[in-house]
Amino acid sequence: MFRPRTALAGAAAVAVLFTAACAPSGPPAGESAVSDATLTIATTTDVVNYNPLIGNSRSDYWITNLMYPHLLSIQPDGSKGPELAEKWGYVNDTTGFYEIKPGLTWSDGQPLTAKDVAYTLNAVKKDKPAGTLYGQLANFDSATAVSDTRVEVKLSHPDASLIPEVGFWGNVVPQHVFEPAGSVAKFANDGSKGGWVSAGPYVLTSVQRGQSYTMKRVDNYPLVPGGKGKAAEVVYRVYPDVNTEILALKNGDVDVIANSLPPAQVKQLQSTPDIKVAEVPGLGYSHMTYNMTKPDLAKKDVRLALAHAVDYDAIRRVVLQGQAVSTGSSQLMPVLSAYYDKSVTEYEYNPDLSRQLLTQAGYKPDGNGNFPLSFRLIYSLQDPVTTQWATIVKDGAAKAGVTIQLQGIERNTYLAMTDKGDFDIYAGNFAIMDDPATNMSLAYLPGGAINYSYVDDPALNALIDKARVTFQQPDQIPIMRDAAKLVRDNVYDNIMYTQNLYVAYRSAWSGFAVKPSELLSIVNPVSVASATKAG
Amino acid sequence: MTMSEVVPETTTAESTVDETPRPARTTWRTFRREPLGISALVVLVLLVVMAIAAPLLAHYPTGYGDVVLAPPSGAHWFGTDSLGLDVYAEVVWGAQQSLLVAAASSLIAIVFGTLLAVVGAYFRRIDAVISVVVDLFLSLPILPLMIMVAALVGPSTMTIILVIAAFSWPEVTRVVRSQALSVVRLPYVDAARLMTSSPVWIITRHVIPAVSPLILVSVVITSSRAVLTAASLAFLGLGDPNAWSWGRILYEAQQAGAMSTAWWLPLFPSLAIFLLVLASTLLSTTYNDARNRKRSRV
Amino acid sequence: MSLALFVLKRLGRGVLTIWFAVTVTFLLLRLLPGDPALAIASPNMTAGTRAAILAEYGLDQSLPVQYVKYLGQLVQGNLGVSFSQGISVSDALLERLPWTLLLVASSLVVTVLVGIPLGVLAAAKSGGLADRFVQLVAVTGQSLFVPSVGILLLYVFGLRLGLFPIGGAYGEGVYGGQWYLSVISHAVLPCLSLVLVQLGQYVLTMRSTLIDALGEDYVTLARANGVPGRRVLWKHALRNALLPTTTLVGLQVCLYLVGGVILIETVYAYPGIGRGIYEAVVRLDFPVLQGAFLLLAAVVVVVNMITDIIYGVLDPRVKAAA
Repeated sequence: MFRPRTALAGAAAVAVLFTAACAPSGPPAGESAVSDATLTIATTTDVVNYNPLIGNSRSDYWITNLMYPHLLSIQPDGSKGPELAEKWGYVNDTTGFYEIKPGLTWSDGQPLTAKDVAYTLNAVKKDKPAGTLYGQLANFDSATAVSDTRVEVKLSHPDASLIPEVGFWGNVVPQHVFEPAGSVAKFANDGSKGGWVSAGPYVLTSVQRGQSYTMKRVDNYPLVPGGKGKAAEVVYRVYPDVNTEILALKNGDVDVIANSLPPAQVKQLQSTPDIKVAEVPGLGYSHMTYNMTKPDLAKKDVRLALAHAVDYDAIRRVVLQGQAVSTGSSQLMPVLSAYYDKSVTEYEYNPDLSRQLLTQAGYKPDGNGNFPLSFRLIYSLQDPVTTQWATIVKDGAAKAGVTIQLQGIERNTYLAMTDKGDFDIYAGNFAIMDDPATNMSLAYLPGGAINYSYVDDPALNALIDKARVTFQQPDQIPIMRDAAKLVRDNVYDNIMYTQNLYVAYRSAWSGFAVKPSELLSIVNPVSVASATKAG
Repeated sequence: MTMSEVVPETTTAESTVDETPRPARTTWRTFRREPLGISALVVLVLLVVMAIAAPLLAHYPTGYGDVVLAPPSGAHWFGTDSLGLDVYAEVVWGAQQSLLVAAASSLIAIVFGTLLAVVGAYFRRIDAVISVVVDLFLSLPILPLMIMVAALVGPSTMTIILVIAAFSWPEVTRVVRSQALSVVRLPYVDAARLMTSSPVWIITRHVIPAVSPLILVSVVITSSRAVLTAASLAFLGLGDPNAWSWGRILYEAQQAGAMSTAWWLPLFPSLAIFLLVLASTLLSTTYNDARNRKRSRV
Repeated sequence: MSLALFVLKRLGRGVLTIWFAVTVTFLLLRLLPGDPALAIASPNMTAGTRAAILAEYGLDQSLPVQYVKYLGQLVQGNLGVSFSQGISVSDALLERLPWTLLLVASSLVVTVLVGIPLGVLAAAKSGGLADRFVQLVAVTGQSLFVPSVGILLLYVFGLRLGLFPIGGAYGEGVYGGQWYLSVISHAVLPCLSLVLVQLGQYVLTMRSTLIDALGEDYVTLARANGVPGRRVLWKHALRNALLPTTTLVGLQVCLYLVGGVILIETVYAYPGIGRGIYEAVVRLDFPVLQGAFLLLAAVVVVVNMITDIIYGVLDPRVKAAA
């Protein structure tokens, strides 16, 4: 006989059975007496990789940063400060050193010594993981722990940037956990063998993929006053849709939004009660590069014409809501105050000039005033700001009689096409471009990892090479300025702006320490460990 | 039933029309008395007119405007988006793209799906294979597959049309097949088989006309689903960045984090999608009801 | 047909369905543009390193070899290792599947509970005002664009009224009985959205089959024999109408489990498998995608089998045959 309720009850039973199977049991008695607060931080993506030497998404960076400390921290002007290392520098042209704080431990009780630092650097050089750090190790030969607190680094060539750059970009990982796992390029570090080990203020204890990452306080974190974090727990929650994320912040389900706010939402949130918005100084730039292996783009006048056909002001005013500053079309952004050169000015938006330049280069417009030039501009779909200004670039070029085809692509494909040179114009951005010598060698030397314009100019190469072996900043500055001017005048790169970012948090929380860039912002380890909740 | 539509024209079709109204006309009469159906038809026609007359109704939204995220006003009926563009213009021009995707993808799916269905119904041996393939396709996770294909191939209008068509035809085949099977079994088709050896002739002259009302319903349903699917794909970032569609407006609202703060941004494109799908569904149910009225009145 | 043969046939069909899904996914992933090597090997690596990594994942072999190897692994229950995360695919997916199942199962229960009376009402008053109203409500739900409705529901019930939490499947730091309450309160809004979009189809099918059933001879006969109208409607006609709607429930699980939930899980930040699939697509994580489609196909097969069994219970003819 049929009874409709049977089927329903069946379905309901399935649901109940399932939940019964995975209800977590409470914490053991004694631990429940913590009266401290939980800091809940929202992010838009899941952690892809718990290995800080591989991870590349922002969530990876934020969460592993709370466990694997860096040797050096960064100031808003790009200069480096102490973090794990108290002193650093060069013994001679090809030997550098770091002196780390004594008495540090990993959360499992093992001491953190210079051996861990040396292991990390040597392992990265050997196994070549895909992260940023490996790229900084071009002139690195080997690292040795000469005592418990001192690491010496041998360089294969003199390189004035290596010690500060490696110190800032490199996380230190525990040798006793990573070494037994084999290659650091493959180790997932997913906590499957007895959980995670941390030397930061918090340690990851449980993960619900797609929802939350729960981190507990570590008792020994000497980098903040009091020797440990203020909040007892830090929970990262995943909100794939930024709209839901903002609602959750307003609702109090999360305390901080880690990713920078969409520019158009900043004003709105600034005037929302119980919400505070912090400004995070940018330390990177957005730019376009013109692929010089294409015959048309190999011509300087064509590149210059394109550069003059972009309404930079509209992009900063409308798309970025005034939250970006012009860099004067130079790599040396105003935030790098020591390097910044006021005399270099931005390409003027002037489509008529562009037309003149194109005619001068021998191109003839057709009856509609269009030149026989069509370029394909690629950008990442995961980058909403670039996605928006790409259309303004297209419209500007159209005014100069040049056709631009927009091609927005998924991030992975985009990165691959970029590396293969499968584009005419590339649009993208870098979060942190703190050291001009390093970045120029990556961006403009032939074979450089981010040389997306495929430029190879002997004069520029000579300047960059000279800067890398110039160890004193005052001597380096004029060289870098010359190089930047050369890049600007030849349109080897079109640097458009530095974006200042905004992050929002609930006003019950205070004590955050803002660091430049979205990667550090108010979710850097010291800031998270210092945050306190009122009441 | 729709018998008289399949009566060969050489016979007494003319005289039957005079004596009893053709069922299509009866259907139309019943249909006309359904206020829901009529209003649905009017809404659909209006949307199509809006799409065609887009150049007369609004300037193509391009560049940027100076007031971003402005609420609806006299100057901007539907407000402005995060680039300061007029949302009304985007919705009007978006209709063109959205309806194009809907029409093109459902057309491909219908032609292909119907063809397989009637061929299968006529040649019973092929039918076994077709029905298994259709069942297999219907058990595939359609939307995730579409997302995967669109992401791998790279989003463009053509990709979206083809992807939606590629995964919509099995449903059409399933629906049309059952009807075609019953038609093929009818005595007059057997008679036709005796008279000609050309399956093409029988299929085009007898089977397809017999299932045509069903195809009509299928067109409406498939294209309205295509609009929802295209919007879903666009919302996940897999729309065509070079053309305005309703899905793209929603996607950009989402990217700008403006879904809850600037209500007009999600509201108007969602409303357009809503009206289109609602009208299509109501139209097809009313039409079906009108055709079946006789039976349901028993 | 003997029961054994019936079961065997069903099982064979299930295996065929799974094989088909697996093969389509495998081929689409390999034949469409989009280089899987990207996800596992940085283009900045030296050619040697890159080749070594590709070889490790078997991506340097020919398509048929890869396919046979892959099927071999599947038969052994090995779904492979995620490209991007370096963990086993089953680990990556099985943690998420239950949440999607919970969402779909609970929304189905609600849909059926609400759908049956609405469908009966519409059919009983066919052509009347109540019928039109029910139709309108049903079709309205179907025509909604899920993310917009999701944000609206979150805004009204989450933020303004504060009735439900925003995002996730449960709260942090709640245990025991509290945890169940937390799971329920997190599931209400996504569940409601799912019900809204799938209710229409259910009600409309119920309505049209009921109308057909009411025209059948046996109903007329029952009426002629003096069986009260209500009893005819609820007992005789409804029982027949439930057959196609059962199939529909099966079909809907397939549709929503595997399709609609991607958008719902995105908007509600729900840790289900749909979102997992989307992320795997973005990261070109082929093993995870293959595993996910396999898993979904398996769920579809199981649901179809359950539907068959319910069919057997509902329809005396099938029962007798079995």
